[in-house]
Amino acid sequence: MIVTTNLSKSYNENTVLNIESLSIPSGQSFGLVGNNGAGKTTYFSLLLDLIQPTTGHIENNNVRVNESEDWKPFTSSFIDESFLIGYLTAEEYFYFIGELRGVSKADVDELLKGFEDFFHDEILNQKKYLRDLSKGNQKKAGIVAALIGSPKVIILDEPFANLDPTTQIRLKQIIKDLAQKQGVTVLISSHDLLHVTDVCERIVVLEKGEVVKDIETSEATLKELEAHFSNIEVA
Amino acid sequence: MVKHFISLEWKQFKRASYFQKGIAIKILLFLAFIYFGGAALLLGVGLFFILRKTMPDVDPIITVNNYLVYWMLMDLAIRYFMQQLPVMNIKPLMVIPIKKNSVIHYLLGKTVISVFNFIPMFVFIPFSVVLMASGYPVLKVLPWLTAMYCFVLTFNFTNFLINKSNKAFFVILAILAVLVGLEHFEIYKVSVPMGQAFNYMYNNPALCLIPVLLLVGTYLLNYRFIQKGFYLDAEISKKVEKVKSQDLSWMNRFGKVAPFLKNDIKLITRNARPKQVVLISFIFLFYGVVFYTQDIYKDMPAVLVFASIFVTGGFLLTFGQLVPSWDSEYYKMLMSQNIPYRQYLESKWYLMVFGVSISFVLSLPYLYFGTRIYGMIAAGALFNIGLNSFITLIGGALNRVPVELNVKSKAFGNTNGFNPTQLLIGLPKFVLPMLIFYVPYYFISFESGLIALALSGVLGIILKNVFLSKIEAIYQNGKYKTIAAFGEKK
Repeated sequence: MIVTTNLSKSYNENTVLNIESLSIPSGQSFGLVGNNGAGKTTYFSLLLDLIQPTTGHIENNNVRVNESEDWKPFTSSFIDESFLIGYLTAEEYFYFIGELRGVSKADVDELLKGFEDFFHDEILNQKKYLRDLSKGNQKKAGIVAALIGSPKVIILDEPFANLDPTTQIRLKQIIKDLAQKQGVTVLISSHDLLHVTDVCERIVVLEKGEVVKDIETSEATLKELEAHFSNIEVA
Repeated sequence: MVKHFISLEWKQFKRASYFQKGIAIKILLFLAFIYFGGAALLLGVGLFFILRKTMPDVDPIITVNNYLVYWMLMDLAIRYFMQQLPVMNIKPLMVIPIKKNSVIHYLLGKTVISVFNFIPMFVFIPFSVVLMASGYPVLKVLPWLTAMYCFVLTFNFTNFLINKSNKAFFVILAILAVLVGLEHFEIYKVSVPMGQAFNYMYNNPALCLIPVLLLVGTYLLNYRFIQKGFYLDAEISKKVEKVKSQDLSWMNRFGKVAPFLKNDIKLITRNARPKQVVLISFIFLFYGVVFYTQDIYKDMPAVLVFASIFVTGGFLLTFGQLVPSWDSEYYKMLMSQNIPYRQYLESKWYLMVFGVSISFVLSLPYLYFGTRIYGMIAAGALFNIGLNSFITLIGGALNRVPVELNVKSKAFGNTNGFNPTQLLIGLPKFVLPMLIFYVPYYFISFESGLIALALSGVLGIILKNVFLSKIEAIYQNGKYKTIAAFGEKK
């Protein structure tokens, strides 16, 4: 589904990402971990064609993302709060995204019904603009908006950060369902090793822009990751 | 303590993004300050002599006192529009041991150092000096000057009390309009009783205590106001607005661009900055009054064309020039969403066409100046729709300045969305229509000039798709640069 070839990104000689090859098959739940500055967000931004690759390219379902826009209809994402429109209410935002993705108001409502638990009565019918919601609630709205329009690829940057424990647990279930039952390719990044190992079938560790580990998740994965991250030298 | 505050302020000032912008903008701002300051100074020095010459029977100080009330109302209106509420980053100070009072006093004291308080004094001080030099009693002039300064500061603090509500602005504006109207048609001259009051004060310096008391009063009111709100959950944390829901489903008839149009309407009605810009664009409607009433322009129709472009182009010029910038806060999302650039641009074009059409309808009273003038406005409107809209969109592609939506722009402080490129790209918006009009006017007739101008607009509408494709390519080319620029923290 997603094939990365010879991809690199540098800012004035300073290479922040360098991935020779990485392919993520369709329907996989894929986790990206790494310390700050490892290149996680850079990779996602390249995948969404928000920044230009220095060399190489990414193909999303055989579409080169920096050459054609045809990947947009089946790809959705939530990277940070700048993906929200602050002056809309959550409902208005969902309907807006729905209109962009060709989903009717009724269908959006239908989808939202399934997330009543997840929202915990803090998102819908709030009479508040998104900019006035708390960080955690903004994130909830953004994540659900990324699910509108049955995308085949979903990209979530740090989805667990700022969420309360209950919501984290619910989100994990949602992500698992997406990959296992609906065959959606889900890419997430996280600092929380426990969550990632819980959710992802495969975990890639980035360090200073390079892939240093590529693990099929198993019982031993969490231990392995913890060992890896506690032994990283502070350069 | 104050020393610490000042050093914090200094760092904030020095490290603010607008200060780190291009040297050209710094020079421009500096020149603007010099210009306004210089103009005020000149007015202050010259006022006495001008008044003595134009109204030899009336003592200049009396004339000044008579019209003080208008200055006051205008001052308030301008302040409301341009002066920002004092914001100090209070949050981090709340948890460290500093006396609340000193923070508040500092905060209020800081507002005294504002361009808005300097400019009037640039007029009053030289005026008073000239008065005293011409033999007016020092014991009357100095208390009067002090009173004026107290008034300036009183307005400074009053502004912060009323700034929070939109109504206050319109009330002041309405009072001003009514008073000017009554005065103009000689129904009731408010300047008479107010003038008498100020003259009485001038002659009885002891009364200058009143403005002093007013100043102390407004200061204390502000003080109490802030003190009450000195908690996180009150004033400092952003005010949560009540949601205004609008039913915009009627706009669905615009098809594919409808979602964007609906969004833009919400953008305008729910954010401080666009609201301010739209208010300004209304003022453009009155631009024509200035030009059409002057006899010297009667024989310079090219200049009148210039004014006509402004009459219907207010919204297009002010709102349009910041076109992708309005969406800067969530541009990344738009770029990763399932949106062709084309639709996005087309929706903005429709929005500008709306703006021009509404302005055109509102400009109907210009018929008063005759059909020739109104024909100009109509031709100008067509040009605005057909060509200026596209020129504006091209300009937008080159303008990569993020805009903070819910923050009013400040005078001399906020260069959001302002750069030399904008100035350059702005030129053809006025020069082009003047040329298109002038050439046939010069060689054939006035009417043919109008027809040429109108036809150029119609041609633009016909070629809409060609233009949009070209503009789309420009936007596509600058995509990464635009995303990066919008992502920069302000």
